[in-house]
Amino acid sequence: MENLIGVAPRDVLLHGPSKQLVAKYHWHEPNTGIVASYTPNEHDVKDHFGLFRGVDQIEAFAQATIVSCAGFLEYKKHGGSFEEVKNKFVPVFISIGNVNFHHYIAQGETFVSLGIIKFNKFRQMVCDGRIYKIVTKNLNPEEYFSDFSKDKLLKYDLSDDFKLVAELFDITGRAIKKEKFNP
Amino acid sequence: MDRQEIIKEIVEILKTVRTINPEKLDNVTEDTDFIADLNTPSTEMINIAAKVEQKFDIEFEDDDIDDLGSKVRDIVDLIIATKEKE
Repeated sequence: MENLIGVAPRDVLLHGPSKQLVAKYHWHEPNTGIVASYTPNEHDVKDHFGLFRGVDQIEAFAQATIVSCAGFLEYKKHGGSFEEVKNKFVPVFISIGNVNFHHYIAQGETFVSLGIIKFNKFRQMVCDGRIYKIVTKNLNPEEYFSDFSKDKLLKYDLSDDFKLVAELFDITGRAIKKEKFNP
Repeated sequence: MDRQEIIKEIVEILKTVRTINPEKLDNVTEDTDFIADLNTPSTEMINIAAKVEQKFDIEFEDDDIDDLGSKVRDIVDLIIATKEKE
């Protein structure tokens, strides 16, 4: 396996169904970054006037980027399976830099997280990135990102089919051994 | 390189960390705690470890960093142990 394309996020992420905020990986270059999508459902916007919360956008971005990318690199480093990685580590937030919100995401609107890896060492990963929502009806993100590239990612080079929702900086997470939580 | 020389090099690294108050680096000893005494943000600990690797031309294992304590003594011990292993 060379990247996460074709892998189900539930196989990579430790999060249960109601807290998993990644539906599909669309583009992934293990040492560069990732593109993944999610569409908020009724549960995701419950008690929040039909909108997906900003804090959940950050969580979705983190799951799509630092958790998925670092999980993949850990899996590649030690072999085995994603299940073994999930059994051994818990992903935790270390810090969050600036986050600038430009737009909102409503129930049923599909958004993509574009994450660029800035630092990865000792199981700590830092990503910058952006969240865009798809504004063109019937656009198929799978098809759109099939010829995506590192160059396009680094420039956030997307068509007008996407609207900028948020810019995220220095989103930092670390994989902590499970036993550290229960010494 | 003895332990005191290692601490001197570590202090040089810490001077490059903008979140650490340089005034606190005047009296760093083995008992100095990165978090309690120097107020080092947890996110910086990994960056410091990476800089230590570069400075001392060594490579830490991920597990070494997982188990690393927060005192200067702990990183000095790790540098010496890693150098011995190599």
